[in-house]
Amino acid sequence: MEYLIDFRNVSFTYGSATENPVHALKEINLRIKEGEFIAVIGPNGSGKSTLARHFNGLLTPTSGEVLVHGLSTTNSNQEKQLIEIRKRVGMVFQNPDNQLVSSIVEEDVAFGPENLGIPQAEIRRRVNHALATLNIFKYRRESICHLSEGQKQLVAIAGVLAMKPDCIVLDEPTALLDPFGRKQVLESLKKLNRDEGIAIIFITHFMSEAVYFDRVAVMDCGEIKMDGPPGDIFSQSSLIKEVGLDIPVAAQLADELIQRGFPVAPGILHVEELVSNLCQLKSKI
Amino acid sequence: MELTKNLTLGIYLPGKTALHCLDPRTKIAGAAGLIGLLLFTNNYTAYAFFAAFAFGLILTAKIPLGYALRGLKPMLPFLAMMWLFQVFLQKPPGSKVIFSWWILEATDAGFHIGTLMSIRVLLLFLMTTILTLTTSTVELTDGTEALLRPLQKIGMPAQELALTMVIALRFVPTLAEEAEKIIKAQTARGVDFKQGNFIQKMLKLFPVLLPLFVNAFKRADELITAMESRCYTGGTGRTKMKVLRMGKNDYYAWGVFLAFAAMQITLILTIAPPC
Repeated sequence: MEYLIDFRNVSFTYGSATENPVHALKEINLRIKEGEFIAVIGPNGSGKSTLARHFNGLLTPTSGEVLVHGLSTTNSNQEKQLIEIRKRVGMVFQNPDNQLVSSIVEEDVAFGPENLGIPQAEIRRRVNHALATLNIFKYRRESICHLSEGQKQLVAIAGVLAMKPDCIVLDEPTALLDPFGRKQVLESLKKLNRDEGIAIIFITHFMSEAVYFDRVAVMDCGEIKMDGPPGDIFSQSSLIKEVGLDIPVAAQLADELIQRGFPVAPGILHVEELVSNLCQLKSKI
Repeated sequence: MELTKNLTLGIYLPGKTALHCLDPRTKIAGAAGLIGLLLFTNNYTAYAFFAAFAFGLILTAKIPLGYALRGLKPMLPFLAMMWLFQVFLQKPPGSKVIFSWWILEATDAGFHIGTLMSIRVLLLFLMTTILTLTTSTVELTDGTEALLRPLQKIGMPAQELALTMVIALRFVPTLAEEAEKIIKAQTARGVDFKQGNFIQKMLKLFPVLLPLFVNAFKRADELITAMESRCYTGGTGRTKMKVLRMGKNDYYAWGVFLAFAAMQITLILTIAPPC
């Protein structure tokens, strides 16, 4: 079957091969299907941003191949293929201030579709749809500098959404946001994934965010160390700690209770889950 | 130092008057035409007629008169200096000396030249003020782009220029905010920006400007990556969401402009200059 995104033995080295090469990615194999909701998590310097830049050909592998719908990012000396890939894989970056082009919300959202040469009426339709989907339609004529950081990040996501991608890659989009902005962004992404069927690849170093996703890939030292549903990942607490990441408090507590012989259900991630589970246990006693 | 609070981009006064609602192309081209007329105006009657027209524009746009004229205030010392230079240094043959003191001699021709020139500069400035007061920066960019687009055929990168303008305007508040942060950080480490003479104060700004510039380049780099990710490949093949349309009012405005221009040219040609 054809994957939406297919990393085949991808390695990437910064610098020249002879002088101080930095191997940012080592033999990465990663397959992502349509409509997946996946978090890539890793500590600083684990290569996750380098990985992100491979999804739409901003970087191309030193060896190996990245296929998007079967189109390779490497053979893209023809600009057309690269444009085709970037149309399908939208990318949102960490700092919302450094990725918005226009000072008016709706004009920024229109930037992508304008680049694609889409007719005027269709751009208007897409922009309105993208703004409405992210609940920022009422700010459409606002100046960017009057919005909160979280809202700016939503504008950036709307700008990508207006290009009708199959997949959105977000490179630590919540790192600079306050807790409320983080929640807003995460909820919007969940909604995009559920209602529009867009695959979301969410790169982060916050464990607490990774638990919201259906699949979690853990990166360290340029390799993917673990890949699976969050429940499976966080039950391997020793491995997680080895990588240098924190386990969500609820998962850690559940894990330690299990180790001390309490019959807590395995794979607990959220505080609410743990509370209800413990209450059930209590009522049994 | 509160930079962001007092920061207004341009001096746009939002409104819904006939002048505000004109197509930006009409306004920009009209302002350029009026400025062109000013450069050829050479007698007091024609200037008076022009000033009356400018006054009419200010009334139409419902700009408070004081507000429009306040913008001229910073020009006055400069104009006074220019006027004095013209009065005392212009000595065309056949001019009469009307005033002399020490080694300075003022001539009647110099007086007229200086006065006409001052009026011209004031009106010129007033025209651009009216344009920027009634047109938002976004409209100004759109209008400039549309007006320059025919020049694309001879290699003028109109779209790229307009996009550069859009991005520059977009980053003014961002950079101002950043400058404020740096100033606060430096103040916290003991720099007093208010103390010292002019040169000392200027030198204190270097540690503010340096990080600001470094960060601006970083931002530019990230912005380019983001633009590439959004399929930007240059001006060719792009479409626009907003399309400018000339309405009925624009045609009226052109009618008024042409009628005014005809009368102004008649005044320029029929009345002899005072010198």
